[in-house]
Amino acid sequence: MAAAVSGEDFTNLQLLLKAPSKDAVRDVCVQSHRAPSRRLAETTAAAFSIPAAQAAQLVQSLHILSHHVLFYNLSSPEQILALFPESFHSSLKNLITKILLENSPTWRTEAVSDQISLPQLKELDWRVDMVTGSDSVSRMSVPTCLVQLKMEDPCPSAGGESVSTVTVELSRESLDTILDGLGRIRDQLSVVAGK
Amino acid sequence: MQLHFTKDVLPDSVSTDFQNLNKFNEQQFHRLIEILFQFLLEPKETERFMQHLTEFAGEHGMSAGPLRNLMKSVLLVPQGALKKNLTAEQIKDDLLTLGLNEEKAAHFAQQWGEHYAALSRLAVGQTLMVNQLVDMEWKFGVTVGTSEVQKVGNVFLQLKLVVRKGNSTENVYMELTLPQFYNFLHEMERAKASMECFS
Repeated sequence: MAAAVSGEDFTNLQLLLKAPSKDAVRDVCVQSHRAPSRRLAETTAAAFSIPAAQAAQLVQSLHILSHHVLFYNLSSPEQILALFPESFHSSLKNLITKILLENSPTWRTEAVSDQISLPQLKELDWRVDMVTGSDSVSRMSVPTCLVQLKMEDPCPSAGGESVSTVTVELSRESLDTILDGLGRIRDQLSVVAGK
Repeated sequence: MQLHFTKDVLPDSVSTDFQNLNKFNEQQFHRLIEILFQFLLEPKETERFMQHLTEFAGEHGMSAGPLRNLMKSVLLVPQGALKKNLTAEQIKDDLLTLGLNEEKAAHFAQQWGEHYAALSRLAVGQTLMVNQLVDMEWKFGVTVGTSEVQKVGNVFLQLKLVVRKGNSTENVYMELTLPQFYNFLHEMERAKASMECFS
């Protein structure tokens, strides 16, 4: 969630000056975005030779900053630089800004695809069969369609499966009705897109 | 006895029942056949069928019980004939073999011919379908913002499929992105084209 970035956060960010390399800064920025975990804090503490408690605060502050940038879609250097206090280390400020701008597009795409939603349709397969007989009519010749839908739930409930499969059978009439419905959706969508 | 409508050996009572049918006059027989076909066209209406037979029995001074048993035997013929896609000719043959007189057999066969298309459709409609799709509902909209990204603008489509599972239905909910929707539409069009090859 997008918490506001506080003065204390920026103080924590200055710990990045202890990083062994620019790549190390980049790594911790990217990893903290996903989750400011304890393991990350520990590896950072080791890499930067700083106490674990400080590393934890650094990682947390980085997380807050990157999510703030993401939430408000700060996409220009000026917008991001404006967040930093006057006294902040200049080169570090530029480096952090550069890293944030580089990763923003990916982070945005990920956030949008990870958002809460109903199970998402992942795969669709179909087959058309010819029914040649049944217990009610021994000789017949009726086509029928089987559609298999694979769905993935991005936030499955505890103990629930994330991937589920449903196979439905459609008669010719049902398929026509569905296509009718889908056609109407397509028409409505083009009206919306046209606006 | 060589019959088209069944390969099974029929109990003797069936022959007896058909011979008893001959005893009805033309008007009575026509009415019984009318009741019979009404039931065949709406096979779920067993109550109504029984009721019609009881009324008929009352009107003609006979007991309902024996009449019902007689009609149960008579039902075997059209039910078997439907399974085997018999023609009017074949059904008439079978009725004659079973002992029904020429005039009555001809009338029955004629009624069969008239109702055959509707009865076939009904039988086909009763064919087993697994997880039959009964209904589809949808809504689509635009996601304006999320907790992670303040301003978003992507279109989503939500579908609800109602699937028959045994005697009850199950709802399946899903969400599709725009490209997924177009793919879904495309695949369904291909499936329809494939089905149309067979007709």
